[in-house]
Amino acid sequence: MASSDILLSVRDLRIAFHGVEAVRGVSFDVRPREVLALVGESGAGKSLTARALLGMAPRGATVNGEIRLDGSPDLAAARGRRISLVPQDALSALSPVHPVGDQLAAAVRSVHRVSRREARARAVAALDRVGIPDAARRARAHPHEYSGGMRQRAVIAMATLNEPDLVVADEPTTALDAERREQVLRVLSEQREAVGAALLLVTHDLDVVRDHADRVLVMYAGRTSELGPTHTVLGQPRAPYTAGLLASLPQDGPRRRRLPTLPGTPPAPGELPPGCAFAPRCPLATDHCRSEEPETRELDGRLVACHHPDRIPDDTATLFEEEQPA
Amino acid sequence: MRFTAAGFTRAVSLLAVVATVGLLPWLSGRDPALTVLRARSAEQEPTQEALDAVRRDLGLDAGPLSLLGSWAAGLVRGDLGTSWVSGTDVLPSVTAGLQVSLALMGAALGVAVLLAVVLVAPVLVRGRASAGAGAAMLAAVPEFLLATVGLLVCGVWLGWLPTSGWQGPASMVLPAVALGVPAGGLLGRLVADALPAVLEERWVELWRGAGVSRARISAAALRRVLPPLVPQFGMAAVGLTGGAVAVETVFAVPGIGRTALGAAKSQDLPLLQGSVLALLLLGLVAGALAALVRRRLLGPALRDASLALPPPRPVRTHPAIPLTLAAVLLTTIGWGLLRDPYAVNTAARLASPSWAHPLGTDGLGRDVLARLGHGAAATVGTAAAVCLFSLILSLALGFLPGVAAGAADIANALPPVIVGILVAAAAGPGTGGAALAVGAISWPPLSAHAAALVQEVRASAFLTAQRAIGAPPSWILTRHVLPSVAAPVARHALLRLPGIALALASLGFLGLGAQPPAPEWGLLLDESRAYVERAPWAALAPAIALALLAGLAVSGAAYAQGRRGTVSATARKETPVGVV
Amino acid sequence: MTHLLDVRDLVVHYGTVTAVDGVSLTLEPGETLALDGPSGCGKSTTALAVLQLRRPDAGEVRFEGVELTSLTERELRPLRPRMQPVFQDPYGSLNPRHRIRDAVAEPLKVQGRWTEADGPTRVAELLDRVGLAPSYGARRPHELSGGQCQRAGIARALASDPRLLVLDEPVSALDPSVRAGVLNLLADLQDDLGLGYLFICHDRAVVRHFADRVVEMRDGRLVT
Repeated sequence: MASSDILLSVRDLRIAFHGVEAVRGVSFDVRPREVLALVGESGAGKSLTARALLGMAPRGATVNGEIRLDGSPDLAAARGRRISLVPQDALSALSPVHPVGDQLAAAVRSVHRVSRREARARAVAALDRVGIPDAARRARAHPHEYSGGMRQRAVIAMATLNEPDLVVADEPTTALDAERREQVLRVLSEQREAVGAALLLVTHDLDVVRDHADRVLVMYAGRTSELGPTHTVLGQPRAPYTAGLLASLPQDGPRRRRLPTLPGTPPAPGELPPGCAFAPRCPLATDHCRSEEPETRELDGRLVACHHPDRIPDDTATLFEEEQPA
Repeated sequence: MRFTAAGFTRAVSLLAVVATVGLLPWLSGRDPALTVLRARSAEQEPTQEALDAVRRDLGLDAGPLSLLGSWAAGLVRGDLGTSWVSGTDVLPSVTAGLQVSLALMGAALGVAVLLAVVLVAPVLVRGRASAGAGAAMLAAVPEFLLATVGLLVCGVWLGWLPTSGWQGPASMVLPAVALGVPAGGLLGRLVADALPAVLEERWVELWRGAGVSRARISAAALRRVLPPLVPQFGMAAVGLTGGAVAVETVFAVPGIGRTALGAAKSQDLPLLQGSVLALLLLGLVAGALAALVRRRLLGPALRDASLALPPPRPVRTHPAIPLTLAAVLLTTIGWGLLRDPYAVNTAARLASPSWAHPLGTDGLGRDVLARLGHGAAATVGTAAAVCLFSLILSLALGFLPGVAAGAADIANALPPVIVGILVAAAAGPGTGGAALAVGAISWPPLSAHAAALVQEVRASAFLTAQRAIGAPPSWILTRHVLPSVAAPVARHALLRLPGIALALASLGFLGLGAQPPAPEWGLLLDESRAYVERAPWAALAPAIALALLAGLAVSGAAYAQGRRGTVSATARKETPVGVV
Repeated sequence: MTHLLDVRDLVVHYGTVTAVDGVSLTLEPGETLALDGPSGCGKSTTALAVLQLRRPDAGEVRFEGVELTSLTERELRPLRPRMQPVFQDPYGSLNPRHRIRDAVAEPLKVQGRWTEADGPTRVAELLDRVGLAPSYGARRPHELSGGQCQRAGIARALASDPRLLVLDEPVSALDPSVRAGVLNLLADLQDDLGLGYLFICHDRAVVRHFADRVVEMRDGRLVT
């Protein structure tokens, strides 16, 4: 792969709090204009990883490893110009005391040396692009005068305003109903395509991943579980964890079949079991799994971290059929 | 419905306060005729005829309603009456005092803003988590203590600055600093403690992620923080009017506060009425200005939007600090309690600390340690009673937020010193009166907290679930609502105990509380001022005890909030009562 | 024939807004009726109105043949245990100060069915029924995961011996992997106890998997 094919490269990313690693050596690339999904249960380290890409790791976090955007490690300088963020819970993501247009204009003026008037004009144009009607007037309004859908669009407008190369969206659709979810994802992908940016989509919703992502990185307990093209990974998972996540989704088919479930809960950082972190919940776990943590390796067109990727049956759901109490 | 109830109680409370001022001559019970007669001519015998003539002259024989009527009528005409003592019109004295006080408060406000900027800057520039315990300490130190220490150090020992009177800018420095520092500590702490939580709001993430510069985000965060805090700035301004009484008295500044206090002590009720009215007016204007500024800041669009600030993270001091402070205080008090606070020994006047008198002796040769120990019972014990009263009142009012809000608005506009002056004028100075004065106005923060918790619990899903299992209202009230409200409010009340004790001490200091020879802490500090140059120990001991108490209030605060749970933002809509 | 639940022309106003505007539905024992629709369409208000936790402004709610809207709060109280809610926020529906076993015991105590001899056994049974080990009884809600807390909420609802559960987005706040376990539990309980479920949910896949019938709501009205 030529280096020009790689927009962002992450190598052995580790994020620790007081010496306890929450992200434990994650490596991946983002290619220009692609959509990479980052999935996993709560606490898998998805959001932390996403923040680190923007140089916005939370206070008290120690970040190690290498993150390069087009070969440059200066993430703070790239923030807003080349990488931008759509935060979680877009409904509360705008300042309640500033008119929406002013917030967008502040982003323009922090990145480009333009006049106040020019910044305003660009802000209004961006609001217009995401489909906010009567944008010139609405730019003067405060967020609480916007409907929920309009606020979400304004947030996306602010994140794509300076035509970044990479948009990081952190759980942009969590807690939204089906209709809103589709709307947000549609506006996001329209804007992304309009400015030619790649998208890193952090989510725990595998349906969203299936419909919107080119490639997917499945994270478990701060590590890569599986990484590859979406149809390859979700079509025929090779990591038991991916298989379990897929199996627990309600499927079309005979109704009221008991759903296969992943027993237990993910381990907290600092309370990891020896060996593979997923072993206590894995029906395929062997003594080998319980003593040695698997490295990622290439298999069937994806990277997978498992000692026994070949033991996963074709009908992955059967692996998790027997439910155990929580 | 709620607004009309609040409006109604606000109007009723305001009328009640004004009527109390108007009825002071009647309420005071003691015969003012004698006071007046003495003041007017020392030689005249207090015969029945002479007294009757004075009574007729003052209109005291007509009964309370007509007294109130003629006073109110005079008020409307701009006539505040004639001083009983000097026989001159009250209005000129009041306006003259007001001018001096306004100049002093203006200077103090300047000091306060400067200090607030110094406290807020590290949070904005270097991302500190709060203004820290230092700011909280500054906010908790009462003006009378700061004034006394300032007088001692800068004025008397170092001789840098004039310590009394009102001649030229130099004489303004010490009073302005003493008045401005606690207010500035409070303002700075409010802003600096609210900022870190605001900087963790989602929008900051969006702005950072969109490349907005740090300077722009800092400015925006300040803009975000101010509107919900403005009402508390108003309360800080009200605190200045109360603090002015103490500071003007210490530095002999001829302002309205000193006039009021002097009038109260000499039973010159018309002058007292006039100056208290002026102080009340100052407080109300400050409150109204704050409301106006808030409206301007919010703009028409935001007026109805909820802008509650996220709750600040409490300042965590090392647990050893409050424990050490408490241990030192308790040891001193315990040791002192074993000794006799009233034993006069004229042979050992103003003695330095020794084994016989570990903290020295006062002007009458009484043991300072003993007086400190026994004074704790008077000061802290009374404060505990006031606290308990506030707690019970606020729990009851928590269920009637509409009624409470209006009365709280008025109570918030009254510093304890002014209420203390009124009570002392009506009932004579004493511990009970001081407790009544502080109790009357120390409940609003607690009742606001209780009301917020009641509302929060009532809206919670688990309460709905109670109704769903068929639980009767009495069960829900006793098993769920009261326990959820009472425990946090009780902790909050405990937290305010040192502040209340400081408020009581400030009344004692001004001669409005406990009377000599009682060993009350504020009174001790006041008495020691007379011989501070010869026996600094006698003055320093109560000053240090009061400072330790303030430190305990601050460092204990973080631990009083409980392990976990919902500390609503309203819980901190409070001005420490110690700021008078 | 009497239905378990028979709602006719239910109307709820919030000030000038009509949140629920003439909703009618029926539910049989052992049946799951899903109420689907976007946020703010009036689903949750319908749930509260059915349970008489928000008294409706018009319409009828018949539960096991008894018309509820005309009853006073006092008359309603003995009937309430037979229909129980399960809410979206697992932590919000339990008093944060109470231990799980006390929360589960509370319905027994309120309804006068608690004895020192049988009470603790019954609580242990209920916790076991929802798949919580007895040791969880001593914990408080914040010491449980979201899924465990939702199970505790279900155990508490079961303590009232209900015939109808009104489930308001019971799995929306849970991770997908945890969601499956809670859905399985609800399915088992229905099979064993013959409960009727009014299941409010905006996730199409979950609704399709879980419900016998689906009605869709929009702007306070049912659409068909």
